[in-house]
Amino acid sequence: MSTQARSFTPYLFMAPAAAVLVVALLYPIAYMIYASFLDWNPSQRIGQATFVGLRNYTSLWSDANFRESFGVTLKFASLVVSIEMILGVGLAMLLDRSIRGMTVLRTIFILPMMIAPIVVGLIWRYMYHPTVGIFNRTLNSLGFESVPWLSDSFWSLTSIIIADIWQWTPFIFILSLAALQSLPRSALEAARIDGASGWQQIVYIKLPLMMPVLIVTLLLRLIDAFKVLEVVLVMTNGGPGLSTEILSLRIARTASEFRELGVAAAMSNYLLILLMILTAIMFTYTRLSEARAARLRQMSEEG
Amino acid sequence: MKFTRSLIGLAAGLALAGTAMASPYDDYKGTTLVVNFPAHPHYDAVMRVLPEFTKQTGIQVEVDQLQYLKMREKQTLEMTKSKGDYDLLAYVVFSKADYVYADQLENLARYFMNPKLANPGYDAADLIDGYVANIGVAGGNKGYMDGPTGSLFGVPFGAETSILGYRKDIFEKHSLKVPETYDELLELACKIPELEPGMGGLASRAASGHQASHAFLLHLAPLGGRVFDDEWNPIINNEAGVQAAQALKTIVDCGPEGSKTFNFAEAGAAFLQGNTAMFLDSTVFAGSVNNPEKSTIVGKVGWAPHPMGTRRGSQTGGFGIGIPKNAQNKEAAFLLMQWLTSKEADKLIALEGGNPSRYSTHADADVNAKFPHMATFGEALKHADPDWRPIIPVWGKINADLGTELSKVLTEDLDIQTALDGVASRAAAIMDEAGYNTWK
Repeated sequence: MSTQARSFTPYLFMAPAAAVLVVALLYPIAYMIYASFLDWNPSQRIGQATFVGLRNYTSLWSDANFRESFGVTLKFASLVVSIEMILGVGLAMLLDRSIRGMTVLRTIFILPMMIAPIVVGLIWRYMYHPTVGIFNRTLNSLGFESVPWLSDSFWSLTSIIIADIWQWTPFIFILSLAALQSLPRSALEAARIDGASGWQQIVYIKLPLMMPVLIVTLLLRLIDAFKVLEVVLVMTNGGPGLSTEILSLRIARTASEFRELGVAAAMSNYLLILLMILTAIMFTYTRLSEARAARLRQMSEEG
Repeated sequence: MKFTRSLIGLAAGLALAGTAMASPYDDYKGTTLVVNFPAHPHYDAVMRVLPEFTKQTGIQVEVDQLQYLKMREKQTLEMTKSKGDYDLLAYVVFSKADYVYADQLENLARYFMNPKLANPGYDAADLIDGYVANIGVAGGNKGYMDGPTGSLFGVPFGAETSILGYRKDIFEKHSLKVPETYDELLELACKIPELEPGMGGLASRAASGHQASHAFLLHLAPLGGRVFDDEWNPIINNEAGVQAAQALKTIVDCGPEGSKTFNFAEAGAAFLQGNTAMFLDSTVFAGSVNNPEKSTIVGKVGWAPHPMGTRRGSQTGGFGIGIPKNAQNKEAAFLLMQWLTSKEADKLIALEGGNPSRYSTHADADVNAKFPHMATFGEALKHADPDWRPIIPVWGKINADLGTELSKVLTEDLDIQTALDGVASRAAAIMDEAGYNTWK
């Protein structure tokens, strides 16, 4: 076999994967980008749609409903992810020890993640029910006023945030726990011998060492939080008003209710761009901090 | 597969033709029709009657039942194919505009003209006028209604109107009069929670979006309002519009607990669970009232026509059936459609708990013996308003905006005039973009 053929071999092995990538990923995205320049309703074939250039993109910014929905999404995603990170990592720290029945406990903890989103929405919807829901009944029996969980714009956003935290904190918990348990014991032991307190161990040893995992976890959750649909759809359907109409719900409604596929595609692209920016920022941050760590290591080795 | 089946059918047909009397269905014996119906109480009743059609005609029917809001997406996909799978489909009334405009539904004239297909005993005049105008005809007044230039694209099937249900026991206990006007209705709606603590006056839908918008439009027509004037200018923010929104707000404020976010099912459940004394919405709901599995108020409900404001005007909605342009068995599909909406089948379906499309069925003695409310419904249907909501392609967007703003009125105390002015100005822009101002 000649060297030329051999250098060609890796590409040959990659070809199937590349082909799948092109067909399954790039083609739909290219299609979506193309569709976002069209005035296209679902009764038309794509060939019959009229080309409108950037109109779908520009008109969205003068659409108050879209801006409100965008704001709701940002608020929802940032709140949900930060609370989940704090709770999830906190729980992992607390449970990072050998307790009997830990395997069972861990399984129970990740149960919410395994339930189908539609069911999660239904469960919470019933629990938030104004008269027969468990929350209001408990509040009433303790002598408190009922809370308008799903019928007030502040509370309904709070309600979907609570439901999302309930469902997705375990995800962060399980990943952080895995990260914690794979930390080098030597570093922790050294810290203990040097007399570091529990807090000091967490702040100076555990968290920095977990950082790469935490960043990826954060990113995964963030991407997911921007795309959440079913739970909100079932619980509030975006209401009252537009107080819980997150972007993915708005996209779904634009496509099926308003029958504007081009506008829906443009919205999806905005979401895609936003997520790509977030991803880029986070990867840049990881790369910078890795570079900094490498530099420090080199300096200490030289010194 | 299909070919062999039709061959067998043909052979069977030929064999029978020699012995039995010729029937108009003979040519289509053995055909299998694929139809798309919603999961809906009316169509559940239809499913129980369909075997009778196959027995009488030898035409097989395969039914694809879908959740009704999902139907439009599936149908849109099906109808943009060059050869569709559906021979007959039930469409939600607001899909009429899209389908007809995209030239996806057969004009029924050529079938009703065909002497081999059209049954002279069909009696189309017996079909409820408001339903036909609202669901079946397009191309007439305002483009989406009946009128001199209109033609028929579908037949109402599983159509519904609005009706007032009330608790006879509560009304008798406090010797209340069944409301006939909006003033009486609104007064009563807020009086009942005082008379019966813990009970709401009237259950209405109110959830953000389509639900709130629907509830508002229900009051708009009787109170004398319209969404657009005859030149497509939004007039939803005029006095009648404000009154209708005020009526909705009053009803929701005096309604049972949680009513600010009720959808249709929840509003219905509140009535069935005895949490409210009145219910004003679709007739399709009547079937569940006396079902002890769902209802705690069996035998306690009376029915009255939708109260009048400045005029009578109950809603018209629900479903119609039509034949897609790309259907593969159009003639047999027409025969099924004609049979399903015939006097005979309309009665059979009504007896199974469906919504009849004919005046004669509403007046029928057997049907009334089983469902005593039918006569009242038939009376109410004479005032069914086919134009209570516009059926134009851009309505989905305006409807969503209207529903969102009304939800803000109900939950955030947004000023009604401000909300409706906003809807009207945005609607004007949408209409302009869609070309409704071209002739101004």
